[in-house]
Amino acid sequence: MPKNIFKNKISRRNFIKYSSLTAGGLAVAGMGSGFAQSKQAGSIEFWSQPYGDVVAWQQLMSELQSEFTDETSIKVQGEAINWDGAFTTWLLVSQGGAHPDIADMFWLYSHAGIGGGQYGPMPITQYKDQYWPDLNERFFEGSLQDVHYQNEFYGIPWRGDIRPLMYRTDHLQEAGFDRAPDTWEEITEYAKALTKRDGAGNVERWGFAFGSSTPLQALMPYYWQAGGEFMSSDGTTATLDNDAMRETLTWMRDLVWTHQVVSPDFMETSYDPDNDFITGKLAINGSVSGDVGRNYQREYPELDGLWDFEIPPMGSHNRASYSGAGYWGLLHGTERIEESLEWMSFLSRDENMLRLVEVSGHVSPNKNVMQSDFWTDQPWKLKLTETLEHAHTSQHPSPAWGKLAVGEPGGVLYDLFFDAVVKQEDMDAVIQRAQARMQEELDKV
Amino acid sequence: MNWRRNLFCYLMVAPALIIVGILGIYPMLDTLRISFLQYDLLRVMSEGTPFVGFANYREIFQDERFLLSTMNTITFVVVVVGILIILGLLIAEMLNRDFLGRGAVRTAVLVPWFIPPVVASMVWTWMFQTDRSPINHVFRSLGLIERNIPFLTDITTYGPINLPLLAVSSVRIWHGIPFVVIFLLAGLQTLPKDLYEAAEIDGANAIQKFFNITIPLLKPVLSILLTLLVIGGLGHFEINYIMTRGGPRDLTNILSVLAYQQAFSFQRFDLAAASSMIVLLLTGPVAYIYIRDQLKD
Repeated sequence: MPKNIFKNKISRRNFIKYSSLTAGGLAVAGMGSGFAQSKQAGSIEFWSQPYGDVVAWQQLMSELQSEFTDETSIKVQGEAINWDGAFTTWLLVSQGGAHPDIADMFWLYSHAGIGGGQYGPMPITQYKDQYWPDLNERFFEGSLQDVHYQNEFYGIPWRGDIRPLMYRTDHLQEAGFDRAPDTWEEITEYAKALTKRDGAGNVERWGFAFGSSTPLQALMPYYWQAGGEFMSSDGTTATLDNDAMRETLTWMRDLVWTHQVVSPDFMETSYDPDNDFITGKLAINGSVSGDVGRNYQREYPELDGLWDFEIPPMGSHNRASYSGAGYWGLLHGTERIEESLEWMSFLSRDENMLRLVEVSGHVSPNKNVMQSDFWTDQPWKLKLTETLEHAHTSQHPSPAWGKLAVGEPGGVLYDLFFDAVVKQEDMDAVIQRAQARMQEELDKV
Repeated sequence: MNWRRNLFCYLMVAPALIIVGILGIYPMLDTLRISFLQYDLLRVMSEGTPFVGFANYREIFQDERFLLSTMNTITFVVVVVGILIILGLLIAEMLNRDFLGRGAVRTAVLVPWFIPPVVASMVWTWMFQTDRSPINHVFRSLGLIERNIPFLTDITTYGPINLPLLAVSSVRIWHGIPFVVIFLLAGLQTLPKDLYEAAEIDGANAIQKFFNITIPLLKPVLSILLTLLVIGGLGHFEINYIMTRGGPRDLTNILSVLAYQQAFSFQRFDLAAASSMIVLLLTGPVAYIYIRDQLKD
């Protein structure tokens, strides 16, 4: 029988001693790592998504944090939340997950609804007059809707997401147009003239795309332009089954199938109208994020002079543009309310808000910022400001909105547009089905 | 002493067991628990998470999306695993022979393995985009097609098969082939050469040798490979999610993607947990057979 190699090597006493030492060492290492992760004394934790040029953004955030610390002695620990994980992050935060003291957030209605007053966004109504006594004078009214929920004030809107129409000036000139389309009828007319096919019928250039971003966000403004609203003003009743929806879906279906000027792939992940626009395979994009202007200037200087913005087209009722505001707000559970409010107050100074949107490329909900040289020195920037006048908030007064507006198969609105436009199913049946599904979801919350 | 040696062994495997316990077993058990609760994020604050028995399972089995995703998952696994094994065998058999440039071909076969699935998915999404697809361009140039093929967006179905599902499956096959080839090549290199020499003397041709010697001797390797591929296929996620998000209209949706969407898009952690348990039920027997065979060996 082989000799027990442990017998002479490790006695029971030594085994216990070494095990204890190992456990102790691990515990110390764990504590060390815990200390490294924990907040620095006297500091606040601030989470933000990155915008524009990521390096420039991080640099600006570092500068702002240093300036704030110099001024107040309050340290800010900044953390970047990647957009890929942002939606999940805020969903978990609203459910009681790990959270910062203050953050750059969005979709207030959904997250506040999910948090139920216990987690997630924290109302700061009682501090409003103390820190921002001139809020209504300084900010566009539409943007303030996005930071108020159930009569409570939640934070400062700093980033406007407004979506104008974008077009290729060279393509329009080539087709004999000297201005952008102004109505739904003109969009159809322009798109028919601008779509080019080869001899076999393959599309070389699409005349029109409903919009960039997720397909649903691109489609929503057209329903608003036809006079529709997705739900009642109190968020309790679905309002899909009406003439405005039929008019919208019919117009879209005609563009895709009757006139064949919009790609039938427009609801798929693989569809990329931005790339088509850049490469000359798309003439008009009906709804693009306003920050693409700044991005195009930085990343595609060869396209300078070949594109321009225009206000959204006139539907049968109005020119509504998709609009949302990213905002700074506090989170339930923070123990550093005053310090966080000081930081928010510092960020919301006109000069700092200007610095932020200069890097991010977004329009600002701050009126003074939009009157600055930065936002008035080029015609396309003035078009963005003009589009702000047609802003329609993308938030809806129900916590279920985020779920209803998921841009993936299975989402109520996604299935509605897909079945009615792409699959060309019976429109009345599709609308009634969507109305019933949406009402069921609204009734649950 | 025996207890001391065992204790030492347990101490050595403890870190691995703890990690498996925390990151594998605990989440699995907790998912099982959640699948019997009402866990709708929008109602947790108002209604809590009451016990609802099998209600979540009843709900998903009445959901057309779940049934379609289950069918898609099975189709995806059959197509991917079937083609991977056949193609892998052919390539491994080829690479097991001596020929000029074998090293270069072996390297080329391994290339897809070096590409992260996320990157591969993005690249292939572009390759399959109807209007920009270089594949369509080549086909048109060769006169094989006139109209572009909508690889990822064609909603025509042929039973459980559709073009987008085949396109996504082909990417999984492309990405999985190096693993299969290496696995089989290693198996082939252990086979005794004298059997082949004897068969040659008896007049067996290449096909007869392949089916009468190679395949029977490779059976143990093939069974392990098959098991691993089936388990991986049933729980597959990233390529389908990145390339199509399950679209068009759920035609490429598979169970793991559906579970993710139910949790993080539709905020129904209860339905997601129930769907995940179905994935576990599907993979469980396969994993059991695999573990049993491993323990036997």
